[in-house]
Amino acid sequence: MIDKQPPLFRLENVSLKISGKLLLENISLDISQGDFMLITGPSGSGKTTLLRMLNGLHSPTSGNVHYNGKPILNENLAQTRQEIGMVFQNPAVFMGSVRENLLLRQRWDASFLPSEKDTANALQNVDLAGDMLNADARSLSGGEKQRLALARVLLNNPKALLLDEPTANLDEALAAQILERISKLKHDLGLTVVLVSHQSSAYMEGISRNIQLDKGNIT
Amino acid sequence: MEHSFYIITWPDIFVSLVLVAFCIGLIKWWRVGLESSILIGTVRTFVQLSVMGYVLTWFFAQDHWLFMVGLIAVMILIASFEGYRRQEVKVPGYFLIVMFSMAITVVLILGTIMGFILDVKPWYSPYAMIPIAGMIIGNGLNSLSLTTNRLMSELHHREEEIELFLSLGAPPKAAVEESMKESVKAALIPNINALMMVGLVQIPGVMTGQILAGIDPLIAVKYQIMIMYMWITTSTLATVLTQLLVIRKFFTPHQQLRREMLRISD
Repeated sequence: MIDKQPPLFRLENVSLKISGKLLLENISLDISQGDFMLITGPSGSGKTTLLRMLNGLHSPTSGNVHYNGKPILNENLAQTRQEIGMVFQNPAVFMGSVRENLLLRQRWDASFLPSEKDTANALQNVDLAGDMLNADARSLSGGEKQRLALARVLLNNPKALLLDEPTANLDEALAAQILERISKLKHDLGLTVVLVSHQSSAYMEGISRNIQLDKGNIT
Repeated sequence: MEHSFYIITWPDIFVSLVLVAFCIGLIKWWRVGLESSILIGTVRTFVQLSVMGYVLTWFFAQDHWLFMVGLIAVMILIASFEGYRRQEVKVPGYFLIVMFSMAITVVLILGTIMGFILDVKPWYSPYAMIPIAGMIIGNGLNSLSLTTNRLMSELHHREEEIELFLSLGAPPKAAVEESMKESVKAALIPNINALMMVGLVQIPGVMTGQILAGIDPLIAVKYQIMIMYMWITTSTLATVLTQLLVIRKFFTPHQQLRREMLRISD
């Protein structure tokens, strides 16, 4: 008998209410290993909230969120979050070099010691030159900062990538480059990708599923 | 050398009103429009401090440890209300947090000073306990109000940064490290500056009072040094305790930032 692999993420009747406002309503959704899911919807529809829930940054008011067959908010939450890399709409870049930004995790995890090669690879994976490691991170352009945020997440060897409007602040050509890079990364590293965007998927190749949210519901 | 000891009488105080009258005259001439405020302030100073003098005289006559412990508890309670009132962003349970931080700070610092530095006998002597406890509570209250207000503002402005840390698997303590550093600095820098500058420009208040009361300046200096050390320790202890307790309120047991609590501060 072959064991059926559980979906990477499973949301069962998930609702979220904060300060009396219903942000998500009765969402049920499976995201399988290798899926490339696009979540679209108008502003305030709950896209980002749903994405945050997949990283355990919100607990549902009712319903369950499972990751790899187990409740996402388990005793190994730190490791789970590292496996589910999240890139926010505004890439937070800190004072210091690109290297210091990439190795942010060392601030609380002394055992996090990626090799020089891994660090350079993480940059190359997002089309940043390996010799940028010592550059001042704050001097990077908007697109480069977004790539740096992506590289920081990739250094954790994630199984999934959650991307919250990663191209919202970029011009069209740069946005296309980043999306192309994400498609390639997904393919090369076998990642599951959930991408939130208010734009349509027309220019994006490889999307396997597209769901639309409106007022906290899947439409 | 004989020490001078200047007795000041009530008529002397009335003579000092000449200074205030001069000040009011100057303000009137300059048309600043603050005459009534200065007048009210002058009367309030007189009434409040006179009442305090009589109250203190009565307190000093109460020679029982239970009375002193009760009095300190009431002082902490009043300071906690004031600390709660001063707080712009309401943190759940903040009144109890302030009270707990103040109580621990007072017990540890007052206990050290009374028992090991001044070696006061009896240990509850009101002449030492009331003014020292008052200074600890006043300074502690200032510091913890400064640190909490700054912490709220840091958490609000660094919300995205904190969530980035959490999303990368950081524990809440690491996620708020920078916010905590900045808010500790905000509370301690005034005290550190005082440590740096004391004695360079002016004679500190406590020393001035002691010298005017005829105490040898070298003895007054020792008291002032002890008070300076007491202030920085009080600030540090009250600040750190308050921060540790306040920051816990902003995270769930699942290491999630309670963003809705920060929204209130919008």
